[in-house]
Amino acid sequence: MIDFMLIFRILVFPGFTFVLFLTLFCDWVERKIEARIQNRVGPMVAGPGGILQPLADFIKLLTKEDITPRDAKKTIFKFAPLVAFSIMVFAMAFLPIDGGSVISASGFNGDLIIILAFVTIANFLLFLAGWASCNPYGSIGSARVLTQFLGYDIPLTLLALTPAFIAGSLNIFSIAYIQVTQLLPFILLAPWAFVLFIITMQAELEKDPFDIPHADSEVVGGLETEYTGGKLAFLHLTRDVQIVFGAALVVELFLGGPYGPVFFGLPEFWYSLWFILKLLAVVIITEYITTVFARLRIDQVLRANWKILLPAAILSLVLTVAMVTWIYPMVV
Amino acid sequence: MPNSSIDIINVIESKLKDKVQIQKGQLSTAAITVSNGLHRDVIQAMVDADPYTAISAITGLDLGASLGVYYHVRTSNAFLTIKAEVPKENPKIQTITDITPSGVFHELEVSDLFGVAFEGNPLPGHFVLPETWPQGIYPLRKDVNANEVKLDPPLEEEKKPSEGKLVKIIIGPQHPALLEPEKFAVTVDGETVTKVEPRIGYVHRGIEKASESRTYLQDIYLVERICGICTTIHAADFCETVEKLLKAEVPQRAKYLRVIALELNRLHSHFLTLGHAGLEIGYETLFQYFWRDREPIMDLIELTSGSRVYPSIMTIGGVRRDLKDTDLPKIKTTLIELRKKLPFYRQVYENEPSLRARMKNVGILKREDALKLGVVGPVARGSGVDIDVRKDEPYEAYSEIPFKEIVYQDGDTWARMNVRMDEVEESINIIEYALDHLPAGPFRVKVPRVVPPGEAVNRVEAPRGELFCYIKSNGTAMPERVKVRTPTYANIPSFLKTAIGENIADVPPNFVSLDPCFSCTDR
Repeated sequence: MIDFMLIFRILVFPGFTFVLFLTLFCDWVERKIEARIQNRVGPMVAGPGGILQPLADFIKLLTKEDITPRDAKKTIFKFAPLVAFSIMVFAMAFLPIDGGSVISASGFNGDLIIILAFVTIANFLLFLAGWASCNPYGSIGSARVLTQFLGYDIPLTLLALTPAFIAGSLNIFSIAYIQVTQLLPFILLAPWAFVLFIITMQAELEKDPFDIPHADSEVVGGLETEYTGGKLAFLHLTRDVQIVFGAALVVELFLGGPYGPVFFGLPEFWYSLWFILKLLAVVIITEYITTVFARLRIDQVLRANWKILLPAAILSLVLTVAMVTWIYPMVV
Repeated sequence: MPNSSIDIINVIESKLKDKVQIQKGQLSTAAITVSNGLHRDVIQAMVDADPYTAISAITGLDLGASLGVYYHVRTSNAFLTIKAEVPKENPKIQTITDITPSGVFHELEVSDLFGVAFEGNPLPGHFVLPETWPQGIYPLRKDVNANEVKLDPPLEEEKKPSEGKLVKIIIGPQHPALLEPEKFAVTVDGETVTKVEPRIGYVHRGIEKASESRTYLQDIYLVERICGICTTIHAADFCETVEKLLKAEVPQRAKYLRVIALELNRLHSHFLTLGHAGLEIGYETLFQYFWRDREPIMDLIELTSGSRVYPSIMTIGGVRRDLKDTDLPKIKTTLIELRKKLPFYRQVYENEPSLRARMKNVGILKREDALKLGVVGPVARGSGVDIDVRKDEPYEAYSEIPFKEIVYQDGDTWARMNVRMDEVEESINIIEYALDHLPAGPFRVKVPRVVPPGEAVNRVEAPRGELFCYIKSNGTAMPERVKVRTPTYANIPSFLKTAIGENIADVPPNFVSLDPCFSCTDR
């Protein structure tokens, strides 16, 4: 007996197709915001308000000539972008989007750890992609990716533990659900962790002021330098999915996930709507940070990580433990 | 303006009275003719007497039987030309780089284009000409035949394995961070720069040679195309030099109109750089803002001259187009609008934390080094060296217009950019003053097409620094020799100095703070 509902959930909604189009939509939103802040108009031609521009760019890249350099390590060079993209989409499948995650029974106690591990693996695959291209700029760019995510993975995990601790669970579904049903969204209960998490996410996703691996004035295209055609399309898409995933993680951990008031009809519809709206809010915040700062230098970024963010993350955890143990029981 | 009372000619006279021939009043302050070898003594005497002494340019000249090597030296209050001659068969002259390092690049150019061997110059090999240029052909000599120039087969790119931890990163000739083709071989140890080797000449167009076969009037438009950004100033420099040869006096109104055109040029050039620096440090928003506000300036240039990029407003004896009284209000309102935006930009450039993190204490050029290397313009003024040709040797109407000379003492990238930021405001002041005090009268005088024999030098302050021009006339309608030394050519040595020991990521912001223009460098 084939479960058509399951196939639909995996392939169409809230699975692959939905994630793909959400990613392209968020890309358009980012480009529009950046353009408007910079006094430009942004995409205008493809579709109403240029909304189809990211899709057009993706299709255009797919039709371009696909070159594999002679010196490149061919297997890794070809498959790393695809695998990185697949892993990010797979990680999205664990997040409750329309009330439950893609496969209803996939959630288990501890899937927050798995998701964070997926982010690391995807970043590592991107590093491999640049490294395998055997190009000096690609090597430097990917070495920078590695240096940066090794540093920022630790504070990210520590900060992700804050909501887990308040919720008393490592299950992402429970963390999101408990914020709306029993407690307040954690952005109100632990705002310090929220701010730190956004900053760390910004560094983890290599966005300004931390977009050192993409510093085109220093390392040309970074790890993308040797990539063309379809493989480049998937590298771009991986990056966009990463950004959406980062925003989605913030939504799940601090903004109460997809849960919100249901006015009439299907709860799935309202949950998806709340999810998208909250996601857009986070995307707007991160894009705003991106546009108003200059790019820092790699040593400045690393110093900021080890000297400021890591102690701050530990302090945030300590503060949370103290609050949960002594303060919240009196309030909530 | 350097406050100094050194009488440099007196110093030279007292030391080398009988050996050199001094013609006061020739070629700016004085022309000194020396026999071979004595040029070192003269320059040594000047360097000892005045710390501001630097080689402005070295002109090579084909004098028939011999080759002339003219050292144009600026001091705190004078501009001298030291004339040396070498025989054509065996053109050898001793280097002056051990006396003042400001001469290194200038010597290289003369050695490439005229075949004069500078004994002791630390940088060997071709600098302007391609590596495959045939031996024994020197393009700027008069007896060269273009048909003889047959390039050697291209050299095999030598692939040296990296030595130990040192890695050589080639920036250029094609690189997304450089908008123009130029090569810098940067040797890095980890992320620290240990050595920079420059190579220019990828877009050398031979404008100096080409202008020898065109009339003076045609040359104005040719030299204007030396650069696509500081266009007007090149034409103005050329026109002023020819006017000196003609002993023509420019009408007062033309002087003011020239100042307006030159300052509009400086405004748009500074806006371009201030924005471009944002791009180099990943601050795209800043870039977009500056380039948006550059547009009204371009519109003003179009309004006053008829063309956005190449105004072609300068001509020998004045300007080609008068300013209409009906246009004045439009210019003034645009400038007022522009001035309103400046406090915001000043705020960003002075205090924005991420910008400060990338620019403060990056590429520090100490005052002593700036003096020694002979840097010019905002680079010098950012290091506390108060030189500005507009103040030191006022041309056009600059002696009548009050304005401040911007000097920062920090000497880092941040200071160099802030000099430009402040100069933007001064430029607006100058234009407004010039518009308010615009004299009536003719805007040009008729001058003869044929220029009497003679030679003249002239200096002006381009947006990037001191721009030097030397013209020798042979009494026909075409010049015998035109030499232009652009500011970037004098500023690149400072980059070779400041880049050593800094992070590879600091190279782009440091470099862009020189406002490099390679189109200028490769004339």
